[in-house]
Amino acid sequence: MKEAVHADRVQLTYASVLGIASTLGMILIAAGYVLYVFELLPSSASAADIAAHWHLRASELHHAVHVPSGWDWTGQLGRGDVLSYVSIIYLSASTIFCLAFIVPAFIREKDQIYTVITILQVCVLVFAATGIISGGH
Amino acid sequence: MAAVTTRGINLFLSSVFAGLLLLLPAAAFAVASVPVHEGGQLAWWVWMLALFVFTFLLGIIAVIAGVGGGVLFVPIVSSFFPFHLDFVRGAGLLVALSGALSAGAPLLRKGLANLKLALSMALIGSISSIVGAMVGLAMPEKTVQLLLGLTIMFISFVMYRSKNSAYPKIDEPDALSRALKIYGIYYDEHLKKDINWQIHRTPLGLALFILIGFMAGMFGLGAGFANVPVFNLVLGAPLRVSVATSVFVLSINDTAAAWVYLHKGAVLPLIAVPSIAGMMLGTKIGAKLLTKIHTNMVRRIVIALLAVAGLRALFKGLGI
Repeated sequence: MKEAVHADRVQLTYASVLGIASTLGMILIAAGYVLYVFELLPSSASAADIAAHWHLRASELHHAVHVPSGWDWTGQLGRGDVLSYVSIIYLSASTIFCLAFIVPAFIREKDQIYTVITILQVCVLVFAATGIISGGH
Repeated sequence: MAAVTTRGINLFLSSVFAGLLLLLPAAAFAVASVPVHEGGQLAWWVWMLALFVFTFLLGIIAVIAGVGGGVLFVPIVSSFFPFHLDFVRGAGLLVALSGALSAGAPLLRKGLANLKLALSMALIGSISSIVGAMVGLAMPEKTVQLLLGLTIMFISFVMYRSKNSAYPKIDEPDALSRALKIYGIYYDEHLKKDINWQIHRTPLGLALFILIGFMAGMFGLGAGFANVPVFNLVLGAPLRVSVATSVFVLSINDTAAAWVYLHKGAVLPLIAVPSIAGMMLGTKIGAKLLTKIHTNMVRRIVIALLAVAGLRALFKGLGI
């Protein structure tokens, strides 16, 4: 029997966006890290500084050295460590982009239950990303 | 003759691999015994190189043993590397997330991962994952180590005992799964035919995903070890659909928890990026070796390795 594709249109839309988003994410992560560790751009804290403090709790390390966290890196995009951090932010936002893309697809399919579930899911992830609940910056 | 030669090569590869696996903790102990108040005498790049090689090996092992890389990463790296558990958990979530993101698209295209099954379970799981991450980052380190040790030992026990069912038989789907339109069809490459599937016990599955999400967020673990048995043994989805949909659920739940770790400053690119790169490269190599290695033997050794890492975390938590 010949293999048939059983994924519906919404699922294929999600897969297309996810495929592009994840490939771009890997490229950005590699590029950001190279800029950072080879010191091709200045950094807020050097790798050696971070290594001297990485045994501390996250809150203690942030008192000792300045490294990007949450959204406090905006306005410092010229720094190597910030660019590496932004690539991780992008990776963490990829799922939100993909879910946001399928909301119109569910609406077109007149699938009310999954339109609501997907919108709620996007809201939960955006809420986490804002840092309101986790005391972010 | 050819069959004998192939069997010989497989046996040789399996033995080499088993030896490598047994050397892994020894090498890690050697690295861990360097007196570095926690980082000190070794240059940072040596640690990063060691982390890359270590996660590369973990990636190979994870695929061959049929476990997620995320579940191996946190207990083993936190045991043998000088990084604080906060950063290991942050990196562990990103390792699991990046693996899930890169594996997700082909699984969705083939119809193995099911969007509706995943979305229904992930909504509630992602909320509990956020709560788990907040609780985990607020707890004293020793308490987290203690709970992590107990959890990892429990996971190794579940892995040892679990017997998945390839094609569970569902007589009657429950009302909630019918309302949520959770059913599907996929082409099974092994049977060479289309398989129709449906699920039951959806409310119980939802309750279990609350617990799984909480644990994933709290310990920074990819939760494939728990997602798959719940999809397969509790809800009754076919094993292939369970494994593929688990990857998709993991990408949503880990995204939610990762944001909490990012806002709490528990993600250091210096540690996270080599871990992601090593694990992804190792996973690709592992997938190629999968047919050549005696997977049962590797799986048993990994379960033992996990139990040792769990015990080590437990002792750390008890201050021993």
